[in-house]
Amino acid sequence: MRQPVRITVNGRELEADADTRKLLVNLLRDDLELTGTHFGCGTGTCGACTVMLNGRCVKSCCVLAVDADGAELLTIEGVANDAPHPVQQALAECHGVQCGFCTPGMVLSAIELLQDNPAPSDAEIREALAGNLCRCTGYVNIVAAVQLAATRMAQGDA
Amino acid sequence: MGYIGQRIPGRNNLRLARGAGQFTADVQMPNPCFMALVRSPYAHAEIEHVDVSAAQGLPGVIDIATAAEVAQATRPFSFARPPEVEVNLADMDGKRLREYALAERWVGYSGRPVAAVVAEDPNTAAEAAERVAVQYRELPVVASAEDALKPGSPGAIPGWNDNLVFHTRYAKGDAASAIAKAPGVITGRVQVQRHVPVPLEPRAFVADYSTRTGRLTMYASTQMPHTDRSILAGALGMASEDVQVIQPDVGGGFGCKVPGSDEEVLVAFFARRLERPVRWTEERSEYFLACGHARETWFDFEAGYREDGKLLALRIDAVADIGLPFGAWVQSSVTAYCLPCGYAVDHCEVSMRSVVTNKCKWGGYRGFGKEAASFCMERIMDRIADAAGLDRVEVRLCNFIPADAFPYGQVSGALLDSGNYQGAMAKLLALVDQEAFRQEQAAARTNGRCLGLGIGFELTPEGCSMPNSDFLQGWDGATVRMDPGGRVTVLTGVTSPGSGNETGIAMIVADELGVPLDTVTVVQGDTDRCPYGLGNFSSRSLMIGGSAALAAARELREKLLSVGAKMLDADPEDLELANGEIRVAAAPAPPAADAPRNPGGPAWSVPIRRVARKIYSHAFGAETAHVEPGLESTRYFRIGNVHHQPETEGRLSFYPTWPFMAVAVVVEVDVETGFVEVLRCAAVHDCGTVVNPTLVEANTHGGIAQGLGAALYEELLHDDAAQLLTTTLMDYTLPTAVEMPAELSVAHQETPTAATPLGAKGAGESGVAGPMAAVASAVEDALGVEGLALMTLPLKPERVWRSIREVAGAVQMGETA
Repeated sequence: MRQPVRITVNGRELEADADTRKLLVNLLRDDLELTGTHFGCGTGTCGACTVMLNGRCVKSCCVLAVDADGAELLTIEGVANDAPHPVQQALAECHGVQCGFCTPGMVLSAIELLQDNPAPSDAEIREALAGNLCRCTGYVNIVAAVQLAATRMAQGDA
Repeated sequence: MGYIGQRIPGRNNLRLARGAGQFTADVQMPNPCFMALVRSPYAHAEIEHVDVSAAQGLPGVIDIATAAEVAQATRPFSFARPPEVEVNLADMDGKRLREYALAERWVGYSGRPVAAVVAEDPNTAAEAAERVAVQYRELPVVASAEDALKPGSPGAIPGWNDNLVFHTRYAKGDAASAIAKAPGVITGRVQVQRHVPVPLEPRAFVADYSTRTGRLTMYASTQMPHTDRSILAGALGMASEDVQVIQPDVGGGFGCKVPGSDEEVLVAFFARRLERPVRWTEERSEYFLACGHARETWFDFEAGYREDGKLLALRIDAVADIGLPFGAWVQSSVTAYCLPCGYAVDHCEVSMRSVVTNKCKWGGYRGFGKEAASFCMERIMDRIADAAGLDRVEVRLCNFIPADAFPYGQVSGALLDSGNYQGAMAKLLALVDQEAFRQEQAAARTNGRCLGLGIGFELTPEGCSMPNSDFLQGWDGATVRMDPGGRVTVLTGVTSPGSGNETGIAMIVADELGVPLDTVTVVQGDTDRCPYGLGNFSSRSLMIGGSAALAAARELREKLLSVGAKMLDADPEDLELANGEIRVAAAPAPPAADAPRNPGGPAWSVPIRRVARKIYSHAFGAETAHVEPGLESTRYFRIGNVHHQPETEGRLSFYPTWPFMAVAVVVEVDVETGFVEVLRCAAVHDCGTVVNPTLVEANTHGGIAQGLGAALYEELLHDDAAQLLTTTLMDYTLPTAVEMPAELSVAHQETPTAATPLGAKGAGESGVAGPMAAVASAVEDALGVEGLALMTLPLKPERVWRSIREVAGAVQMGETA
């Protein structure tokens, strides 16, 4: 069965005719070719598919595409224009990236955290990223990067 | 100053952080179709009948393959034994196992592919797979190594006379008599559980076949593109030049993305049969069921020691449950090969029985068996310390191979190239103030908190180079070319699954050619473009692939210097390459350097790009006619310290470099629940010359996270029918940012190896074993219960809670706390 879906993705209004079984992550990846959102587990555990839906982070493997009808979505492709977002820049500089598969989801969770809490402690950063698994970094440089981004965003120099 | 030794973050970081990575599942192809698999729900069964009729009628279904069709169109294969190779590691004592990508009449583990479906979209493919009706006749299941070894055990594989696939034995001295004479003797069993690597990116393959060219193009999340090409060509009966394997960005490998999987062969089979792009991305549950397990091993040990803690004699009788004998089961032999790791023992006997069961085959996993060996030895060291009433660090120091004894021949014949274990331990103890910790621990106790400190040591040999192996070899190739504009391209046979070696290799080449780092491009993972190479495993990419790139860059450097010398009218010996120019070493500082050396004479320096241009554009000129045209070199590098002639060299030694790490962890244990929290972790790592400390530390951070996961959380569990119970990330739990210690530091000691030109050893697998051992030790220290020995991982709350009560009783523990 198919059903029309109207969503706003990264500021662009889009219409798609979606299989009612289709997951939001697959709508983004297959139909809209926004492949920065990754599929890692399908059970909402790893966080590689994290996107913002109406301003809050969700695991897009746990949302049916048709349930996103009318929603506003922000994916990794929309978090910055020409210059990278401070979180992206800090992750690159702090080497908080290795294979990079978890990174887009981490970026979105970190951006959500910094919206809610511009000066988080390390423990608060770890708590906020607990829904995003990384198998490469041990999270050491990721936590450092989020701190650096927070500092720069507070100083307004990024 | 050169780049080597500098802290430089990975060159792909920003691209990946912006979501612009191109992973295999991101590769776009026109008009693709999607594969789904029918997998056996039984661990051991005969297939009586496969009925695909209900799936065939489903709209959107394009093709269904049964085992018979696959057997007709392909050849049997495995990672350990590609079709064109005669030597069969699983072909011992007449034991054979020939398997195609789909099981024909027999399944030996739950999750084994039985039939395959291709449809217009993934949901239809999945639904069609569910409609395939397979009738099985269940066979007796061998669910554990213990069962497998019992006399009269049913065979895990029909036709085999027993379940033993390989028995590895090493000995030195006379362990039995030395133990009989030893002042103290301890015995026990150390157990390492069954693990999987779990890269965040699931396996993915996308293939297309062109009838016009007769070529297959395979995009694969693989670690070894050329090996993959050999296996695919062999399995499909194609010439290898008609297969192109492209490795896009890989979202982690850790050993499990070595090639030779049923699924990949099936994707290629369908692409050729349908002449249409075929895609497959693994479900996470399929990863747990069928990608490849690792590590499940027990060690029964008997150790004789002296009052001062010196280990006099050691016997280890180990058994590994390798599941079905495919792929990377050879890890169990590596475990035996490493024992007794970094310790000198005069009398030692090691036995390792690799036993088949009806579980999934082993796949490679970071550590490749070395982590189990180190964990075993560390637990033995702690038991000796406890039995002799000695400090755990002192016992290690008194048993380490002395720093002046390298190269050191270990029991198996392994030749340990270099080491300074005492140095690493001393450096660690300087970072970890034991005295201060004991005060902190005592203070915490008065508040009812149980803190503990544990120390671990690991030896992680790298650069695996097995005799008569098509894949596990200690050589690799690289091409370095400079274009007429002076830009450099490095093409390597090694690859990166996300570990950063492309950045390290670029640094090596930039230094050798004296050019800015951002003018060097590194191309990896394309069998049409890159020189033949063996890809990524055993931490080889930087130390072997980087050495090949260094050799190729050195040839270019010589040519640039030779032409540059003519252009500057100088002796090549008086020249240097740096900052993008060739200059006379005695040149003054700018701006004077821009002036001629003497009136009307040659300049002090010339930009390298101008020399390159000259070589390309003026091949017959006075300055260039003496050199071969072009600026490209392909070189192969063979690593030192590999010995494959036991008859003449007295040994068979297949690991050239032996990095090591000493590590300390501080834990807090909740006595009421058995919950363990890791508070701090500090490590001193030694991989010889460090090309890029940022990359080595980041890799080690990840290794430590995997070691802590192994110590505390991760475990594949099966029931009595060998059904896997842990098939999601909610059952097989990885450490999150919350579980990782708030303080984690990695320091370096650099003991260079003579086996590589830069003195660099491998660094990719370090960090796993040490924390496994240190956590067990720290939990014992935290509880302070005499006789408590935590010899089995993971230390889940339940296990810790039970162990406490078994040894001490609940009431007494409450008082101690």
